[in-house]
Amino acid sequence: MTPRDPSPLLNIEDLTVSYHRVPAIHHLSLSLSRGHRVGLFGPNGAGKSTLLKAVAGLVVPETGTITIANQKIAKAAPRIAYLPQRESVDWDFPVTVRGLVEMGRYHHVGLLGSFSKADNEAVQHALELFDLAPLAGRQIKELSGGQQQRAFLARAWAQEADLYLLDEPFAGLDKGNAGALAKALRTLGEQGKLLLVSHHALSEATELFDMAVLLNGEMIACGPTAEVLSPQHLECAYGTAVYSGGHHHHDRA
Amino acid sequence: MSTLSNLLAPLTEPFGYAFMQRALLSCALIGFTNGFLGTFIILRRQALLADALSHSLLPGLAVAAMLVGLSTLGLLLGGLMAALLVAIGGQLMARNSRLKDETAVASLYIIAFALGIVLIRFAKVKVDLSHFLFGNILGVGNGDLWISYAAAFVTLTTLVLFQRPLLLTLFDATVARASGIRIGWIETGLLALTVLGLVASLQAVGVLLSLGLLILPAATAYLLTDSFSRMLWGGAFLGLLSATGGLLLSFFANIPSGPCIVLLMALFMGVAYLFSPRYGVVTRLFRGRHFHEESLGRWEGHQGHDHQVPQGKDER
Repeated sequence: MTPRDPSPLLNIEDLTVSYHRVPAIHHLSLSLSRGHRVGLFGPNGAGKSTLLKAVAGLVVPETGTITIANQKIAKAAPRIAYLPQRESVDWDFPVTVRGLVEMGRYHHVGLLGSFSKADNEAVQHALELFDLAPLAGRQIKELSGGQQQRAFLARAWAQEADLYLLDEPFAGLDKGNAGALAKALRTLGEQGKLLLVSHHALSEATELFDMAVLLNGEMIACGPTAEVLSPQHLECAYGTAVYSGGHHHHDRA
Repeated sequence: MSTLSNLLAPLTEPFGYAFMQRALLSCALIGFTNGFLGTFIILRRQALLADALSHSLLPGLAVAAMLVGLSTLGLLLGGLMAALLVAIGGQLMARNSRLKDETAVASLYIIAFALGIVLIRFAKVKVDLSHFLFGNILGVGNGDLWISYAAAFVTLTTLVLFQRPLLLTLFDATVARASGIRIGWIETGLLALTVLGLVASLQAVGVLLSLGLLILPAATAYLLTDSFSRMLWGGAFLGLLSATGGLLLSFFANIPSGPCIVLLMALFMGVAYLFSPRYGVVTRLFRGRHFHEESLGRWEGHQGHDHQVPQGKDER
């Protein structure tokens, strides 16, 4: 995976995002193609969430461009699925698991169009793919944490998204549910989706992700998981080593 | 036969008066429309903002009464302007100062309310403050009916047309924004419809009770269902039922219509709160507290998580 990859799905060039002039991401470039499960690593405040939000179009970049299959992200919105963090969802909302997955079809059916046979099949397929079919009639609060995560993945799948952005999806999951989520992510990778997943723990990283991006405001490393999470790189991200190299300011003082 | 019709005569009496027919029709329209709109307000968690806006109508009504007298259209525009000023002013204040937006809006609306009470004394015509505060449904004229038609038409078509983007925004505004929905427009539109709904229900229940038509039926429906569309139409139906029913009750019992309507809504809500099949406080006392089969399923199944699901319990 080099920046010269023939057909990257996600292309980020020279991205800077800052809050009140403090850069969260500093002149970052990154190219990723389909079929990869990419773990996003780095200490707190490294810009993992910010990077996901920038790709989702939720924060405005100060510099740089982000494209999805050579389209600006505003145009490519339906191809991107941003999975909310647990706290931002109203779990009492009057919606069943099936209703949630049906939301993924809304941009296919339009404002008033009714669901076609194909739409209903896509919904049913999504439910089955993530082991949710028997739970389809439940209100979303009546699911376990892992099932809730998978319900949102099913919605993204029904939407026919190509790029999945997940912010700490494994946080708070027990071993069984984490295993089911990992399996779901692998399935999506095999289908040629690109998954960008922020992740806290370094253990089991190589099993969960085939690629990794290590951040600390700046890009530290990107590539196969085992190489990226080498002791030297980790020292650079989490330790006290001083970052040297990469970008230098050439615009303003 | 004739004795039967004699017996029923008192019951059919209200339908014989033209003023009562107009009042019933107006209540039905507003009850249905605001019940429908209420679902969006509740799920957006803006019930208290709507309350603030309802109070802020008063100075607008007073200024309209000062300038153009008691013309319905004038009052409508006055109320609309005042509420929008408070809503927008609150946002601006919150943005430009340290005040949080609910503090800013609350401050503005209570100031507006006090101002309204003072201004009403300077109205050209003699205005009965209590009509503004509590409504005067029996005074509904043909002009007022047209306002009801228009408000119902605008609100219902907008909400039905944009139901899907609205639902996505209500459920999770962040994700909706990421998926390309212009949530700024959605929120502003919803606010404008809220003000329209409040103004349209002034005649029926007045400034102080207008919130009831917006909130109570939808809250009742929320207690009864897990389906968004059933909550929408259920809230609308309950709104229609209790607005017309409350008006008839007020006619027979000879008490003011506004409180009568709101109390009938409260009765429905109380029943749902206690006896809703799924979320009733009393119902839950008598129901199994958890899915037994789910726990047992762990042992029958292989891996130990969520493959076994109770049959039958999930149908609703």
